[in-house]
Amino acid sequence: MPVASEKTGAMSSRSSRIAITADRLVKRYKKKTAVNDISLEIHHGETFGILGANGAGKTTTVEMLAGLRTPTEGTVRIWGLDPLADRARVRQILGVQLQQAYMHGALTARELVDLYRSFYPNPLDAEQALAMVDLLDKAKTKFDNLSGGQMQRLSIALALIGQPQVVILDELTTGLDPRARRRIWATIEALEEQTVILVSHAMDEVERLCNRVALIDAGRIIALGSPQELREKAGAATLEDAFVSLTGKQIHDEENEDSTL
Amino acid sequence: MTSPADTHIEPRRPGAVAWLRLTQAEARMTVRDTAGLVVPLGLPLLILVMQAISFDDVNQQLPSGVTVLSYYLLPVVVTLVIATIAVINMPSFLAMYRKTKVLRRLAVTPASPAMLLVAQMVVSFIQVLVGIGVAYGVAVLFFGASLPQSPLTAAAVLLAACAAMYGVGMIVASVSPTPNSAVAIGLIAFFGLAALGGMFGPVENLPDSLQQVAGWLPFASAVEAFQHAWVAEAVPAQNWTVLVLSAVVGAAVAAALFRWE
Repeated sequence: MPVASEKTGAMSSRSSRIAITADRLVKRYKKKTAVNDISLEIHHGETFGILGANGAGKTTTVEMLAGLRTPTEGTVRIWGLDPLADRARVRQILGVQLQQAYMHGALTARELVDLYRSFYPNPLDAEQALAMVDLLDKAKTKFDNLSGGQMQRLSIALALIGQPQVVILDELTTGLDPRARRRIWATIEALEEQTVILVSHAMDEVERLCNRVALIDAGRIIALGSPQELREKAGAATLEDAFVSLTGKQIHDEENEDSTL
Repeated sequence: MTSPADTHIEPRRPGAVAWLRLTQAEARMTVRDTAGLVVPLGLPLLILVMQAISFDDVNQQLPSGVTVLSYYLLPVVVTLVIATIAVINMPSFLAMYRKTKVLRRLAVTPASPAMLLVAQMVVSFIQVLVGIGVAYGVAVLFFGASLPQSPLTAAAVLLAACAAMYGVGMIVASVSPTPNSAVAIGLIAFFGLAALGGMFGPVENLPDSLQQVAGWLPFASAVEAFQHAWVAEAVPAQNWTVLVLSAVVGAAVAAALFRWE
């Protein structure tokens, strides 16, 4: 995988710099512990994958990293800042694509891009943002009238529009056709200076894009390493086999796993 | 280990362009939702025309120098415009944004969901002015209505009435879990307040006990305050108190109960 190794090379020069720290994160709901003592250090310039079966705690984890949920215990730091207490600072360097997030449905793709551009000090050019996700020809189409895949692509463009230093992508290419997936992968691969957290069910995507991967099961990290290290650890030929071997579960294609907790 | 946090990030809030774009977005959402404009603009107009053609004495001059229509009917119609937009429309927009996770999406940008709330209020205030303009234009053109004899007092009452009705609207938005329930609760609140405030006939026709209750509710207080503005009399302190209290209570309830998601 030449692209992944290029990314690894770009990252190694900055590997001593920590972009994101999660320290002993716990999230409890009334009857369930969704995240149970997760600690992470993600390096500047790294693309970090989070893999897990439905309900494993992936989305809850990244929502705490993004400052959307308050941890029951533990701390999060993005560039050394608390995403809850230093909201105004963190939001300037953070770009988030949420799982199943909706937009103002009556606005066109271009109007949404212009709206989200206005929130950031140094945004991408509007046409550049639409071209990046192949939506230039849909600029005048209302969000409500876009297909599911087009909505997803626009959501990715809006996550990247502020030229964020830290990008969180939850189910990056779910619902996209193969051509669109490859286009989006190329866009993510071009983010060499940024730290990317990728939550995905797609093993090929994780193998191609991620420097390191955390396997999460029942709210805990059960394995952490590069895709190759995970395969070797499990004695498996593919990352999917490694996942099944390490978790004892099949990965599911369904969405919306733990976001409803 | 070092951290990218060594780079200083100013806690920059979105500026005037972001406020403008967000207000534009809300305005476009409102204008493109044609069905949503029918009730706040059409219902008060319908009630104005029905009442004006149903009674023979609407053009009769009162001792204060204004007609029956200007003194009794226009204050009710103006208050109806405010109440339909603030108590029915605004909460349903907020509930829809909450359900579709638009507020959640904004929460991961430098713009806060509170900015959307302010933009929504600005747009709904413009709707109020348009609604009042349309109703008043019809009243002047076809039924010989007059301007309030004290325009400054009328403007002050308009602001106080809007604040009071938005207070009620925020309570509705705070206790409504879904868009449908927001409309249902909003309609109940609207008709309850309007029935006790003169929509179906003068408050003086209500039983004494209900008149007492009505006097402490924002709809009847707004109508009575507008009546005083129309004949250039001082607005009773009780009317101001009720309008301000409604706004304060609404804000307090919203602060305690309103959930962005």
